[in-house]
Amino acid sequence: MTRADWVIVISAVALLPFLYALYWGNAAPGDRVLVLVNGKEVLAASLATDQEFAVDGPLGTSHIKVHGGQVRFTDSPCANKLCVHTGWLHHGGEFAACLPNRVSLVVSGLNNRYDTINF
Amino acid sequence: MTTGTSPMTANRVTQVFRCAVSLLAAALIVTACSHRPHEHHEQLVVFGTLVDITIFDADDESIARASAGITADLNRLHRTWHAWETSTLTAINDRFAHGEGAIVDAEGMRILRRAQELSIASGGLFNPAVGKLIELWGFHQDDAPKGPPPPAEVVAELVAKNPQMSDLTFSDTAVTSSNPDVQLDLGAFAKGYAVDRAIGIVRAAGIENAIVNAGGDLRAIGHHGGRPWRIGIRNPGGPGILASVEVTGDESVFTSGTYERYFDYEGTRYSHIIDPRSGYPADGATSVTVIHTNGATADAAATALLVAGPEHWANVARQMGIENVMLVDKGNNIHMTLKMAQRVQFEGEAPSVVIVADPP
Amino acid sequence: MQLTLQTTREDHRIAWLAALAITIHIAESALPSPIPGIKPGLANIVTIIVLMQFGWTTAVWVALLRVVVGSLLVGTFLSPTFMLSLGGAVASLAVLGVASRLPGRGVGPVGYCVLAAMTHIAAQFWIAYWLFIPHDALFHLLPVLMTAAVIAGLVTGVIAHAVLDRLSDTDYGRHPAAAAAD
Repeated sequence: MTRADWVIVISAVALLPFLYALYWGNAAPGDRVLVLVNGKEVLAASLATDQEFAVDGPLGTSHIKVHGGQVRFTDSPCANKLCVHTGWLHHGGEFAACLPNRVSLVVSGLNNRYDTINF
Repeated sequence: MTTGTSPMTANRVTQVFRCAVSLLAAALIVTACSHRPHEHHEQLVVFGTLVDITIFDADDESIARASAGITADLNRLHRTWHAWETSTLTAINDRFAHGEGAIVDAEGMRILRRAQELSIASGGLFNPAVGKLIELWGFHQDDAPKGPPPPAEVVAELVAKNPQMSDLTFSDTAVTSSNPDVQLDLGAFAKGYAVDRAIGIVRAAGIENAIVNAGGDLRAIGHHGGRPWRIGIRNPGGPGILASVEVTGDESVFTSGTYERYFDYEGTRYSHIIDPRSGYPADGATSVTVIHTNGATADAAATALLVAGPEHWANVARQMGIENVMLVDKGNNIHMTLKMAQRVQFEGEAPSVVIVADPP
Repeated sequence: MQLTLQTTREDHRIAWLAALAITIHIAESALPSPIPGIKPGLANIVTIIVLMQFGWTTAVWVALLRVVVGSLLVGTFLSPTFMLSLGGAVASLAVLGVASRLPGRGVGPVGYCVLAAMTHIAAQFWIAYWLFIPHDALFHLLPVLMTAAVIAGLVTGVIAHAVLDRLSDTDYGRHPAAAAAD
């Protein structure tokens, strides 16, 4: 083995964990939910972990729940609760929003079955 | 072949340096892979809705330019064409109510002329002149009305006034209405026009592959890196996805549904899509999905075909030159043109009945 | 009418080496693979040995002949498999070309084999993504494929090293095939 061989082999092996982190990162390789306030991303979370978020908008706090690979608004400080009525989302490209509170969420992932949803 | 043990010399240093160079070659190959073209989401709260923009393979600068351009333009359109907050449109309606003509700029003229053409082509089923009826039903507010429905005689009286887009006459700079009961409400057209504008801005920013989805209605250009864009069509009224279509090049997908805005009163559901002939909410169909290049045309057609209902939609589609239509009736039967049937992929179990009409 | 082709010693050498590479290529294509698309790339051993013994130009000839003739014999000529094969070969030959131009002791068989295997897989992945399966989910496979490439590169590198060691006592210049099969 020449010096060049060692350098090539060591860096090739060192590169592998980096590749795994890059493409298998963010926990499960499934879908994620992006939560935006005023169109700016405030958090991104895996749909693989059940969790709840409280996100502050101009009107107050919107509550978002991730459960069983799906995500929904559970409460929001708006009058007609359209965001809550939208219900569970899990397809890539699905989105829901509480317009009065400027909080929106969109499902996004490498395995998106759809790029966007028409309704 | 073992590494030498001679002391560090200038020669060794260059040797190590060259090893590093050869390494770089390998690193370059792999980093080329990590720079994959990626999908980018922008969400804008404009035009009274959430506008979700999906962009494939574009640089950040173009995306920022498109995003800012769309925000400015859609805010402008929203202020100009709002049907009940003080706007250019409400000013025009005030002039009509007083029997006067209104001065309108070049873009306004184009919009109103186009709305008139589409209304006439739809046989008056898409009728943006019935703003008074929409208001009477309580849909000129952000929240859903609570009911009760307006008295039958008031509805009949308004319908008898017969406001039509054909009552409008255009001069070079002004529009006049021969019927003082014409009150414009571009609700079934403005979103399509706005999406068309947004796609124009996206293109001007040098972006070739994008979807602009304004609260569920969208126009898609280009593709998703070698494969078509995949559009899921949500089940009307129910959870989940009913079907999907693939879109490439440049097409708009618009759905009008009775579930979008409505109120329930004493066990009856009243939707926001009013049949201009009866003055009552359209009752035959639950939703209509239209695919057409132009967003404004698709928007108007989806509304007109929903009003036409399962019996008459095919004729109206033919008159309006719409080739891709899917209508879901109250019994959840699907009615489609042949062209649409060839593109639609149903999700899960296929719906009970699929009726394919003659191609228009 | 008789057609006479003037052939040089170099032509014979290329033909012999290519024949050996093609044999390994075909034998390998008959082997079952645990994961589709992952093969040890044993034919690359020949490419690397040729590169080190006879230079880059001969290695290019041998590798390209191997891809074209091998695919004709297996029956995949101009098919997606062929495109992937050719793309991988061209890319790794390019990288080997750069690496072999390093003066001094430069790169040895293990380094060459690892470089070649990684480039091969990276190029094939890229071709597959752009031409055949433009789906983002494919990127999940990339770390696995690159891990396989590094392992395959090390294994073929060690084999190539062993073969080269034996060749150093042999008159490989005249009977390369016989020597390599030794």
